[in-house]
Amino acid sequence: MSTDTTSPDFKSVITPPPADSLILEARGVSFFYGTHQALFGVDMPVRKNAITALIGPSGCGKSTLLRIFNRIYDLYPGQHAEGEILLDGENILAPRVDVTALRARVGMVFQKPTPFPMSIYDNVAYGVRLHQSKSKSEMDELVETSLRRAALWDEVKDKLHKSGLGLSGGQQQRLCVARGIAVNPEILLLDEPASALDPVSTAKLEDTLEELKRDYTIVIVTHNLQQAARLSDYTGFMFLGKMIEFGPTEELFVKPKVDKTGDYIGGRFG
Amino acid sequence: MSARLIRRKLASQIFMVVCGIATLIALTALVLILYTLVTRGIGGLNLEIFTQDTPAPGSPGGLRNTIVGSVMMCGVAMIVALVVGVLSGTWLAEIGGDTPYGHAVRFLNDVLLSAPSILVGLFVYQMLVEPFHGYSGWAGAVALAILATPIVTRTTEDILNLQPNALREAGMALGGSQFITIRKVIWKAAGTGLLTGGLLGFARISGETAPLLFTSLGNNFLDLDMSHRMGALPIAMYNFALSPYDDWNKLAWVAALLVALAVLAVNILGRWLARDKSGH
Amino acid sequence: MSEEKILHKSDPFDPVFRYVAFAAATLLMAVLGGIVVSLLIGGWPALSKFGLNFFISTTWNPVTDVYGGAGPIVGTIVSSLLALAMALPIAIGIAVFLTQFAPKFISQPLSIAVELLAGIPSIVYGMCGLFVLAPVFAAKVQLPLVMALSNNPDSFWAKLVYGVPNGANIFTASLILAIMILPYMSAVFRELFRSIPPQVREAAFGVGATPFEVITGVIIPYVKKGMVGVVMLGLGRALGETMAVTFIIGNSHGFPKSLFDSGSTIASTIANEFNEASGLHTSALLALGLVLFLITFAVLALARALLSSQRY
Repeated sequence: MSTDTTSPDFKSVITPPPADSLILEARGVSFFYGTHQALFGVDMPVRKNAITALIGPSGCGKSTLLRIFNRIYDLYPGQHAEGEILLDGENILAPRVDVTALRARVGMVFQKPTPFPMSIYDNVAYGVRLHQSKSKSEMDELVETSLRRAALWDEVKDKLHKSGLGLSGGQQQRLCVARGIAVNPEILLLDEPASALDPVSTAKLEDTLEELKRDYTIVIVTHNLQQAARLSDYTGFMFLGKMIEFGPTEELFVKPKVDKTGDYIGGRFG
Repeated sequence: MSARLIRRKLASQIFMVVCGIATLIALTALVLILYTLVTRGIGGLNLEIFTQDTPAPGSPGGLRNTIVGSVMMCGVAMIVALVVGVLSGTWLAEIGGDTPYGHAVRFLNDVLLSAPSILVGLFVYQMLVEPFHGYSGWAGAVALAILATPIVTRTTEDILNLQPNALREAGMALGGSQFITIRKVIWKAAGTGLLTGGLLGFARISGETAPLLFTSLGNNFLDLDMSHRMGALPIAMYNFALSPYDDWNKLAWVAALLVALAVLAVNILGRWLARDKSGH
Repeated sequence: MSEEKILHKSDPFDPVFRYVAFAAATLLMAVLGGIVVSLLIGGWPALSKFGLNFFISTTWNPVTDVYGGAGPIVGTIVSSLLALAMALPIAIGIAVFLTQFAPKFISQPLSIAVELLAGIPSIVYGMCGLFVLAPVFAAKVQLPLVMALSNNPDSFWAKLVYGVPNGANIFTASLILAIMILPYMSAVFRELFRSIPPQVREAAFGVGATPFEVITGVIIPYVKKGMVGVVMLGLGRALGETMAVTFIIGNSHGFPKSLFDSGSTIASTIANEFNEASGLHTSALLALGLVLFLITFAVLALARALLSSQRY
């Protein structure tokens, strides 16, 4: 089987989930930072209520791909994407798509914790207040549920009105997860959420994600192969801006169909 | 799209337009000022400006004595400011900046940096003019130096702090003393940055009027002796603009244009040097 | 030569250099101390003679040698606050527009232009005020307003715009001050907004906020302290400004009775009178200088404290 990813007739090897279980599907997505092309016709199916992991060496384009799913790249003039990404059958790359509404449906948690300069309570309520008016008691309840789901409630319930900036790194990251799920998105994107965390905080975060997948669809970028293997149901391996192989995590890790994937997982490069 | 989303997006659009209008208002005001400066100043700009001294009202003349005075006083002030400023900036960055005394120096330097310039004029008047019974170019230069030094100190410290520690260690590891390391390695590496600091200081003082009013006072004749009263462009602007004579008013605008052009040129040069350094 | 000798070989210039650099740093402090002490000594005769009256009386009369500085002191504070009120919203608007909305090909040249304008000597602003703003303001704003309100001279509005219609008053002085501090303030605001880590902005947009919500809800709170610091720096500039004000404030020593009444500031009073003053008059001017120093020092110290506590 050819693994020459530089050849023009290169084909990704994709083992998709059942067609009726998809919530999001990238088809032939290319991405450009100005004139520099970072993604080359990437395909990727995302299964509903599952965790999908993206792995690959740094610079392979996995974070870039993730940032297209909620069009956060729109903030930077000069960056643009081609191809199509279907969310419930609608192409989110189409120009008339409303990015504000899109981002309420597709939430994102970043590599570094990004609590806003306000209280823990207000951090969680921030996104909700934008989209809906809720009574005080409804909001209290929602904040509590979100914090519970992010496995942070017990640690912060006594200091909800203290600044979110005062939490530890791991707590801040789970606060960001709570903030993300409070608006009840369909999909939650996580860009190396554990890279700045210690092992204990990482384990807690992973437990949280495990819990969350019953209600949400999760796409996570990680450079930690063990994390991808532990956590995800599907995994995509990317290299040099291309999707090399995509399939159920077990298959991809145990018997990869492409040599390159095996080399990366076996630690022979990357 | 829900009504709520439409409302939120509308609010955002309005906000953007308001910010754009604010920018437009400010730009209009500033363009008007530049336009006034250029249209009123350029008509009077000719060779006589540089070859003749300030005239009595109604007779022809130029600004030679004030240009020469400004250049001399700013020159002396910059020499003093560079020596004192680079030394004290170096002291803050390399030697004593972390001590309580260092923190005090840094804070007071910041205060001096934004202290009202007219107070510096009063201070120098009391120190150098009153005791020696006379306004002088030296007093003017000292007042300007006091205004420029904090700027040079600040930029020097900032620039030296940007130099990697490895550079210091490498210099010391070769057996150089602290003085040699600072002089031959650190200052050299920070060269353009230090120059930029000097240029910023120069841009600040070249248009300063208030501190000169009570120190160099102004002089309608060319006099190269700095122990005498000395003319300066900003003083000419002040006196001529407030006078009732049309030709003096005109000269004031020419002087304003000259100073503004000089400041602009120096600022652009400073930026260009700074970019050249950080670019590659 | 023994090993030890090599280790202890030292540059004789090293300590000399340290002392010289130390002396230079100390000189800066000495100058600031000197300013305070000289103003205090010089202003003492007036302060001790008039006592509290120096701060609350508006009688400033060089002929009878009676000096009360309330007029210039209040004029300084009022004109600076007015200027700040005019400049602040516009400066924030510019900084927001340049950092959040404008495409790069607009924001870059505009930002450079704003920074270059911040370097224009303040006397140029004063001259524009005197020669351009004052006549236009008198003819197009002041006169029509006075005429329109003349049949009802006791109304609030008539009192607000009372004054000699020559365009030289507290309001126009504040306007010129505002234009003068505008480039400086917007440049520093812009720096402040740019210092916010991009992921904070991304996170705010990431929960589906509109640009307006991101800026007012996250970005501005993120740099709140720093912004107050910038406001203080702008205020410090306005308080100590001489030349932009002296040309256009009208230079009268009483309390300004209305928005369009002439007034004076501490700096303009010193600039106008110091060279002709002697004796107690000089002392009173130096005492005013001391007051100005104390006001600006307090404002600047607060600004520095707020700005340095804003770390990311």
